Amino acid sequence: MVRTTLAGVVALALFAIPALAAEDQVYIDYRQKVMSGVGADMGAISDILKHGLPYTDAIAIHANRLEDAASLIPTAFRQNVTAGPTDAKPEIWQKADEFKKAGDALAAAADELEDAADDGDPAAIQAAFKELGKACGGCHKPFRKPKEESYKKQ
Amino acid sequence: MRRGLAALGAVLAWTGGAGAVEPLPPDAARSQAVPRTARGEAVLREAGGCTCHTDYPGEGAGAPVLAGGRALETPFGFFYSTNITPDRETGIGAWSDEDFVRAMTEGLSPDGTHYFPVFPYPAFAGMTRQDLLDLKAHLFSLPAVRRQNRPPDAPPPFRWRFTVLGWKLLNFEPKRFEPDPERDDAWNRGAYLVNGAAHCGECHTPRTLTGGLDRSRWLAGSAEGPEGELAPNITPDRRTGIGDWSAVDVAWYLETGIKPDGDDTQGLMAEVIEHGFARLPAADREAIATYLRSLPPIENEVKAPERKDG
Repeated sequence: MVRTTLAGVVALALFAIPALAAEDQVYIDYRQKVMSGVGADMGAISDILKHGLPYTDAIAIHANRLEDAASLIPTAFRQNVTAGPTDAKPEIWQKADEFKKAGDALAAAADELEDAADDGDPAAIQAAFKELGKACGGCHKPFRKPKEESYKKQ
Repeated sequence: MRRGLAALGAVLAWTGGAGAVEPLPPDAARSQAVPRTARGEAVLREAGGCTCHTDYPGEGAGAPVLAGGRALETPFGFFYSTNITPDRETGIGAWSDEDFVRAMTEGLSPDGTHYFPVFPYPAFAGMTRQDLLDLKAHLFSLPAVRRQNRPPDAPPPFRWRFTVLGWKLLNFEPKRFEPDPERDDAWNRGAYLVNGAAHCGECHTPRTLTGGLDRSRWLAGSAEGPEGELAPNITPDRRTGIGDWSAVDVAWYLETGIKPDGDDTQGLMAEVIEHGFARLPAADREAIATYLRSLPPIENEVKAPERKDG
């Protein structure tokens, strides 16, 4: 009897998991859109700097947007979803304090770049951008699956 | 002794003679006016900072620099990088110039044993003697760290050093870099760096069954990169490589680690950028980009192998 019930529970769980994942998908979608926005601004600043476009004023706006985007990261990762097409590692929720610090570091680095862009010194802008890049890595390294484990490559 | 002489002769043949003055690559940082250890530091950066010799993954940012002990996962087992600090007993502090050149270009230790090809001497064999000795001078100027080398954790026969002789016969043809007179200085500099010190092919070229680099798919990416990582196809194929990256994109990437889509870089590549390519003269990054963009595009999709741990 117990065994039958257990088997039933297991069977139910097996069916329940895909159903749950489908519901979680919308949270993954939102999260990925927030992060895509971060990537878009990083890519745009890169374009300005690497091609020397005369858009230094725009760098400050992009940096400001990155600071805002950083403030969305806690929301984007509020729902603990690691199953499905996501590269979020469970450590995000296991080490919530560290994850929050990594997000704060992004905001701080973006703020530095905004200041540098306002001042307009190319070397300082370049240096601040590199620090901003490190802030990406500072969070991705512990909290995002490497590409060999990425859902995109499976 | 005779063996030593023969090896020395071979080194001379490959490097164009100990006394011959190498034409220095077209770069101010290479100037004879710069002290040898500073030039050697530039060579270290060209080699990605030799970060495989520092155990950042295991010991974090405070890992003793270039003291070895880093686990390198290969399809043949785990190998541990060696101590290349100038400690006389556990590092390379007792090595002569010839010992260093022989290790880098022939894969032979001072006592004549073979190095496992996880040490990319097939690439370093293309470096100029001048660059090699500058690099040695720089390494010898760094703090000595006492740390014993660790033997590989690989099943037989891959942990037996004598089998490396067979590997060398099959897969190792030491070639000194020869500039292509049809190409400009930037291209030649890029070719020298990519195939020599920067040893890009060691990770980005797929390997044959015997663990040699597959020359027909040079730089076309490998699913069995270092530390179990995927090494992307860096030929200009549009779909499977980096054909949609411009030379400016490549140079910027090597400086910042930021890809054209705004994403950053993880894994060993992030380390070689941080400790190596980001600190190269801009002209060298541009030279690498020029060379990579000139390669024939090779279609090769790099996919993660099925992981045993599910």
